[in-house]
Amino acid sequence: MTLKLATLFSRLVLVLAGSLVSMANAQQISRPTSVVQLTGLAGVKDNAKGTLSVESGNLHFVRGKTSSDVSASSIEDVVTGADSQETVGKTVGMLSMAAPYGGGRFLSLFRTKIDTLTIRYRDVDRGLHGAIFTMSAGTADEIKKGLLANGAHATAVEDSNPAALTPSSSSPNKEPKQ
Amino acid sequence: MKRLLPVGISLCMVALLFVACPLLARKSQSTRIKAGAIQVEMIQSDEIKLPAEFQIALYENLIRQLGQQGFQHVYRDGDRNASGITDLVVLHSTVRGFKAGSERARQVTTVSGATSITVHCQFSRPDGTSLLERDVNGKVRFFGGNLKATYDFAKKAARAAHENFSLPDHE
Repeated sequence: MTLKLATLFSRLVLVLAGSLVSMANAQQISRPTSVVQLTGLAGVKDNAKGTLSVESGNLHFVRGKTSSDVSASSIEDVVTGADSQETVGKTVGMLSMAAPYGGGRFLSLFRTKIDTLTIRYRDVDRGLHGAIFTMSAGTADEIKKGLLANGAHATAVEDSNPAALTPSSSSPNKEPKQ
Repeated sequence: MKRLLPVGISLCMVALLFVACPLLARKSQSTRIKAGAIQVEMIQSDEIKLPAEFQIALYENLIRQLGQQGFQHVYRDGDRNASGITDLVVLHSTVRGFKAGSERARQVTTVSGATSITVHCQFSRPDGTSLLERDVNGKVRFFGGNLKATYDFAKKAARAAHENFSLPDHE
């Protein structure tokens, strides 16, 4: 009798602990990560800089006073990848092209590694959307994990380790998308 | 008299040109296919391994460019609102070729490292009747990141749609 009660009690404790862990996972808030939204997020301009986090079951993008949310449960696919971008880019990089003796071209050899995060999600009318983010290297996986814990889906699990897909650092797939 | 003849011929040629241009334009307009709205399906790349960001950039740029070319109703893949639309055109796109270039190579050498992408575009009715098929390519040769090739493709594909389909508000 005592043994039965003990077994029942231990099962109850296990079930309770399991549900608490899953609830904690669902509510987890990842710290905001600085990102560049390349394209696709509704209501946000292309190449917009902001912060990205996973909050209360949503992928939360903030730029200044405006914010945009995508429900994790509406995300059909999350893919992370590795990339690189110019260390000296934009206007300075462009102007440096005019430097004598190929000085500007020499500068473009210096590149910073970055992560990419690509999501596919459905809106309320079931219309398919896609969004691409770039962020500092090593941060995309944390957001992906946060999204998966909140109900997002991922079709390609192996993509979470970009190095496995692109073994060579000189692979053209690692070139910048911006 | 000898001077008048070339002038007369020139005048006739100019008059003929003025008459022919509107007639030709009308003819090309009449061959356009009626499109009430367009629905863009997700880019397929079963045969060619395409990075996810390229696939999404192709899709999003295509939707944006079609909107800019005058299509007032551009529906996304799976959008419930597209069902029941008369003269709906569905755009299926399949990647046929992809060469991931290198921005670094482009910047250092200028001549090498071009990124190119070839997509087979099929415009059809919802029942599957094919209306137009075309291979469209996108390239980035000198400046810009690799994803710029997707923008180039989207612009060309949207232009092809604009040239071949007549929009209800533009008639």
